[in-house]
Amino acid sequence: MAKILLVDDDQSFLEATSELLGMLGHSVSTAESVAQAREVASGRVFDHVILDLILPDGSGLHVLDELEARAATNVTLVTGHPSVKSIVKDLYGPNISYLIKPIDLQQLQSLLDRPVAVEPVENLPGLHFGHLVGESAPMQKLYEMIDRVAGTQANVMLMGESGVGKEVVAAAIHQASKPAGAFVPANCGAFARDLIASELFGHEKGAFTGAAQRKAGVFELANNGTLFLDEITEMPIDQQPNLLRVLETQKVTRLGATSAIDVNCRVVSATNRTETQLAEQGCLREDLYFRLAVFPIHIPPLRQRSEDIPLLVDYFLADFNRQYKSEVGVDAATLDRLTSYDWPGNVRELRHAVHRAFIMADRNTRLLVLPDDLSSPFSKTGETRSAGISVGKTVEDVERELIETTLEHLDGDKKRAAEMLGISLKTLYNRLNSYAEQ
Amino acid sequence: MDEDRLRKLLHDARNPLNNISVNAELGKLTLQTQGDVDKAVAVFDKILGECRRCSETLESLSEAIAEEQQKGSAP
Repeated sequence: MAKILLVDDDQSFLEATSELLGMLGHSVSTAESVAQAREVASGRVFDHVILDLILPDGSGLHVLDELEARAATNVTLVTGHPSVKSIVKDLYGPNISYLIKPIDLQQLQSLLDRPVAVEPVENLPGLHFGHLVGESAPMQKLYEMIDRVAGTQANVMLMGESGVGKEVVAAAIHQASKPAGAFVPANCGAFARDLIASELFGHEKGAFTGAAQRKAGVFELANNGTLFLDEITEMPIDQQPNLLRVLETQKVTRLGATSAIDVNCRVVSATNRTETQLAEQGCLREDLYFRLAVFPIHIPPLRQRSEDIPLLVDYFLADFNRQYKSEVGVDAATLDRLTSYDWPGNVRELRHAVHRAFIMADRNTRLLVLPDDLSSPFSKTGETRSAGISVGKTVEDVERELIETTLEHLDGDKKRAAEMLGISLKTLYNRLNSYAEQ
Repeated sequence: MDEDRLRKLLHDARNPLNNISVNAELGKLTLQTQGDVDKAVAVFDKILGECRRCSETLESLSEAIAEEQQKGSAP
């Protein structure tokens, strides 16, 4: 779907064409004059502008001067005669297309099918924003958040457990915002400590030993697009003021350079820590946190949306089948086991499990074969085993799990456990006795 | 010859033709995708209206040409 601004002084043409484009699935705004077009276009970004050259209050070209994000907009002039082409081309460069009257559907379609500066929206069935799978309530809430923030320039901080798909959500936000620039993912934990500044901000040739070539940093690469900074808390605290300054001034200076470059990009950062942990552990400066987390989004863990598991399994399976040119399916029993497991490693763990089961698939029945034990070695360490809340558990189950995990964590110290749980020591003993009886 | 006037009339004739074309596509798509006959009929009425508009403009155009020719042949 493209966002189109249609400007023409012929009311009847405006009506018919906007309805036609609407039926083709595009969203159309119309204007009858230069003044009206300016009003309609203010503060909005269009994929296409279709303009009559001669309008009652001036030339249609005046509308172009006022367009926001002009580089990302395809401009088309509606003209009665092909000779206009050569005249206007010299004025506005090759980025303009023409519709010659009388216009037909084929002309319109070939115009709109042309690759736009923005990458095309991949509308694969069942994929939200071209990336996300799931119809559960927590995901619907997430889609709503993405949709809201896509219309703004706000920086987003993604929070969620390891493996929930933070980079995928970042890519979805990028796609939903339809920016002109690129999506540039970078992992702050993967940068060598000495090279962080150079990776982020770039450097000039000879800025330091080994800087043999001039290099653009990720901020520059993401100009007019989205910069995804994963594991933001891994950035050394002494480097954080540099990042803060770029966010505040929207200017970046390459190492060794004398002048700054303007950068305009949305920064989506991500962490697997909670807000409380961020505040307590001091791994992120407070001022930087507020710059980055203008719009915080929490991504739900997989166990809170287990009804999405069959959809995800289908999606991964289709992906592997395409990759390996095969036709492996899944039976109800396997799907049940996958759905009832609580996936501490979230979607990433599920994907790996499906991949493994795909490789082990039965050659005759062409069905996924799961191992006897689904759990990964990482999920068995006491530290990460947290009380898993999933639909179907009773309050008693969850309470018992919480008490047992707390006791385990404190090496069986009941007094401290009672304090931590906020119950009296007597209540704790009563509960433990009742568990012993069961 | 009053070229400006002729050019304007030609331009005026092109507009209804353009509307006929766009509305014909709209009518076609309406019937193909929605099967909405009432809406299609309204679109065809618009096409007929644009045909009349085009015919009127062509009429004025031929009058204008005749006038110019008379002027040209006068001593």
